[in-house]
Amino acid sequence: MSPAAAPPVPSRSAPVEGYRPLAQATLVLAGAAGLVALGALLPRLARRARPAPAPAARLRRGAAVLSASVLADSATEHYRGSYHHRAMFAAPAMAGATLASLGPGTGGPGVRRATQRSAIATGLAGNLFHLRNAMRRPGAPSWETLFYAAPLGAPGALAMAGIGGLVASGLEQAPPGGETARRLGRRLALGTSAGLAATSAEAALLHFRGAFHAPAMWLPVTLPPVAALALAGAAWRPGERGIGRARGLLRATAAMGLLGMAFHARGVARNMGGWRNWSQNLQVAPPMPAPPAFAGVALGGLAALDLMEAP
Amino acid sequence: MTRYPGYDVLAKRDTPSWDEATRRVVDARLAGPAARPVLEERDYRTLAALCDAVVPQPDRAEPIPVAPVVEAAIAEDRTTGTRFEGLPTMREAWGRGLAALEAEARLRHGTAFADLTPETREALLHAVDAEEVEAPEWDGLAPRRLFRDVMADEILRVYFAHPAAWSEIGFGGPASPRGYVRLGAGRRDAWEAPFAPPPDGGER
Amino acid sequence: MSRPLGTLDPSAETAPRAAGGRAPDVFSREGWVPMRCFRDEDEVDFAVIGTGAGGGVLAARLAEAGFSVVALDAGPFWRPLADFASDEREQDKLYWSEERLSTGGDPLQFGSNNSGRAVGGSTVHFQMVTLRFRPEWFRARSDLGYARDWPVDPDAMWRYYAEVEAELGIAGPVRYPWGPRRGRYPYRPHEVNAAGHVLARGAEAVGIDWSPTPLATVSAPRGKAPPCVYRGFCKIGCSTNAKQSVLNTFIPRALAAGAEVRDLAMVGRIETDRTGRATGLHYHRGGRWRFQRARAVAVAGYSIETPRLLLNSAGPAHPDGIANAEGLVGRHLMPHVNDAVWGVMDEEIRWYKGPPSMAVSEHWNYTDDHPSKDFPGGYAFMSQGPMPADFATSLVSNTGMFGQALRNRMALYNNMAGLKSVGEVLPDPDNRVELAEERDALGLPLARVTFSYGEEDRALSRHARAFQREVLEAAGARDLFETTGTAHLMGGCAMGATPSEGVVDGDGRAWSCPNLWVCDGSAMPTGGGVNPALTIMANAARIADTIIAERAPDRRG
Repeated sequence: MSPAAAPPVPSRSAPVEGYRPLAQATLVLAGAAGLVALGALLPRLARRARPAPAPAARLRRGAAVLSASVLADSATEHYRGSYHHRAMFAAPAMAGATLASLGPGTGGPGVRRATQRSAIATGLAGNLFHLRNAMRRPGAPSWETLFYAAPLGAPGALAMAGIGGLVASGLEQAPPGGETARRLGRRLALGTSAGLAATSAEAALLHFRGAFHAPAMWLPVTLPPVAALALAGAAWRPGERGIGRARGLLRATAAMGLLGMAFHARGVARNMGGWRNWSQNLQVAPPMPAPPAFAGVALGGLAALDLMEAP
Repeated sequence: MTRYPGYDVLAKRDTPSWDEATRRVVDARLAGPAARPVLEERDYRTLAALCDAVVPQPDRAEPIPVAPVVEAAIAEDRTTGTRFEGLPTMREAWGRGLAALEAEARLRHGTAFADLTPETREALLHAVDAEEVEAPEWDGLAPRRLFRDVMADEILRVYFAHPAAWSEIGFGGPASPRGYVRLGAGRRDAWEAPFAPPPDGGER
Repeated sequence: MSRPLGTLDPSAETAPRAAGGRAPDVFSREGWVPMRCFRDEDEVDFAVIGTGAGGGVLAARLAEAGFSVVALDAGPFWRPLADFASDEREQDKLYWSEERLSTGGDPLQFGSNNSGRAVGGSTVHFQMVTLRFRPEWFRARSDLGYARDWPVDPDAMWRYYAEVEAELGIAGPVRYPWGPRRGRYPYRPHEVNAAGHVLARGAEAVGIDWSPTPLATVSAPRGKAPPCVYRGFCKIGCSTNAKQSVLNTFIPRALAAGAEVRDLAMVGRIETDRTGRATGLHYHRGGRWRFQRARAVAVAGYSIETPRLLLNSAGPAHPDGIANAEGLVGRHLMPHVNDAVWGVMDEEIRWYKGPPSMAVSEHWNYTDDHPSKDFPGGYAFMSQGPMPADFATSLVSNTGMFGQALRNRMALYNNMAGLKSVGEVLPDPDNRVELAEERDALGLPLARVTFSYGEEDRALSRHARAFQREVLEAAGARDLFETTGTAHLMGGCAMGATPSEGVVDGDGRAWSCPNLWVCDGSAMPTGGGVNPALTIMANAARIADTIIAERAPDRRG
């Protein structure tokens, strides 16, 4: 017989986290959906409080959806980056503030304007921060940097939300009419069209990273650019048919943005461990809060069309 | 002595870092090997002392059990796929090798290998590794090969198969289905060991 | 014999799973897929021996072309999701642990180092590094003046590389810095981990190119395979199926196309008739010896088992073993120089995260004229991420370090980084596989393997160590130390343009046995300076196509 007795079994410490996968997953899903719904509803509540003309409300709602998307997306992505730089808190914080500034009765008009201007500044500064981060990586510049360093264009979405909010406020303060409205509408249409193209470019990069493994991944790189072209075309040579076509495409883009969230939720489920492995997969699977950004920008485009149709 | 005090990979047992297969394997390991004694009492004492020399654990209140698992591996005739020239089959190599260690200790120090002080034991193993051996029992055993690629190899595989050894070095341990997200230098996922203080100048 | 080695499902190592018209569904925990079954007395078109990088690809392609195929493997048929644990010791069950005798000036290590024993072969535990040969290596003698030429068209190999890369869904860089242009890899590269960035920073500091490593693990979903989760246990078997091994790519294809895959079927001898043609094979399965009839036989047992089997298959027309008229079977065995340099970084690297080798430099594979280059051939070097026991045992094996010193060294595991070479070893007829007197439990003679480095190999290994040291130091590592070793196996039954130059011709067909093919790493005339798996697969795809072009069932009279 061996002189050694059976080795002692080390005591097992308690699990690090209380682990209820279904509950957690449901919570996260509900949270994400709630954020977007909040973004869409806040302006509606605002309108109830203080009736505003349709284009302004639409624009406000678009800006709110966009800032909600930035809030959830940057919070997740910067968590993935361990918030290793304090400035990384700025993105979700500013997106949250912007979202609030688009809601009913939060602060005076001065505070709202200041918040939305800060969002623009934060977004543009974010672009520079991300560029610096990317260029510091070995191999930069390269495709791999574009794939895995901080995304260069993403912070621009926050700036777009800020601009949308400012313009919406302006519209509400002094609703323009006639030619002024139509001119503003055309300018807004061109800006939104550029924003749509940029958002689509980011989706293209990330879907290229995912090797377009699912056919649906082609949708956000084809539909929004077509919508953007139609929108720009309508702004360039306004006409009933052009505006109608652009409106249809923008509505489709908005719907696609919401559908995209469902596709990305399926992406989470398809990764190893699925929703049970949410603590990894919500960080690495397709980002659920990202696609609704298309809806936000598309709403801005629809508002521009509304303005262009001003009597 | 660990750089990761308080870190325990077993704390992750019931998280997505561990799958059912891994839980079964590690649970069985922690329960200890089925007793399959094949060694004589004297050889087992030599083996236990050898394990202690290869991975001394003076810092552990509950040392990782190594010798019983090595003995079980010998009993199973657990082979690695390579038999180097100058060595007999795995089981025979262990039997004769332990006897040769014992003979060498008695020849040099007049005492059992297991009764040598840790320092003397270590010095003797360095001599074996340098092939500076005197006992005739080494005949037909390539001492360095035997020590490094049979004995120390198996002992280290057993030691580093234990969760306590994983925790000690801050290794993430089992990882399936959940792997890792933060791959960069100086980054860690929430389910990894906290960072250790930076290494001093190493052991220059 | 020491089976079973695993504890999860020991019966998988002792009782065949693929039988009775069904085979394990590798994408399930306990499911099955239907499998066409042949009887031993059916004369199948092809009996394929071994189901790894060579045999698996060949079996799938031949079956899809309409041949009747039985593929036999000595190892178990695993379902990764249920059978693979995140545990080094449990996963020892993936290796060829049956003993080979190792001798020579620099005796080789087998088992986990280079030999798989499973349906899917070594690809079940390979590190997924899928590099192409430098095209000139196929004409090493003619174009570069060393070793020997492959009797194949380099352009054809280049095309087949692209084919198997597509079939495996390789995740590789958008632009590869070395060699002629190649098409886009089917999947994008993975995010390079900290260990890989050590190589990257060092390479940039000394002014050479580096690249994310093309890897056979997907970076986005592919069929039933989820994307890689960077768990880091790749070398001991992927439990998520993200790794694109032969087990979860070509084997399901082969089964779907009507091939039969027999696990735990150890082939002991190929039978030949008076004219020298192969008629079938003797294999051990389910506790007894059986005989499978076949019109043709393809051997794909890798560089030890393929020569061992041919040498053990003497017949009336093959007195010294099949295809051994020139005495070449077993000769020209080559490993790769696998020397490495390791060091300690200030920051925690945690190299256990992600596939082990996420960054690579092929600089010395594509640099011919440099004052320091005092060797023919070349080497790649890669970032490292060994598991704890693997690293600890390489420390004691190389340096003799043990005791408190070893524990102190291992305490720095999370701060370690390393670079390891895959360096070309020149073919030498004296490096060989022979049959020993001693027999295994089945009564088959053990393989005795002799290996010694040549002078050129030593020069390469010195260069690789010195250069990797320079790169690692430039990346900021300190307390550097070196390990030596070999990896992979190539040669043993090489292709040659004439019977005096090789065991088989450029199409893999034995010179002295017209219905016998060799289709694995043993057929490689040279080893190159890259991991061999992709080359073995591309070559197998090429060999399959030559067979199909010549003998497709619908064209046979």
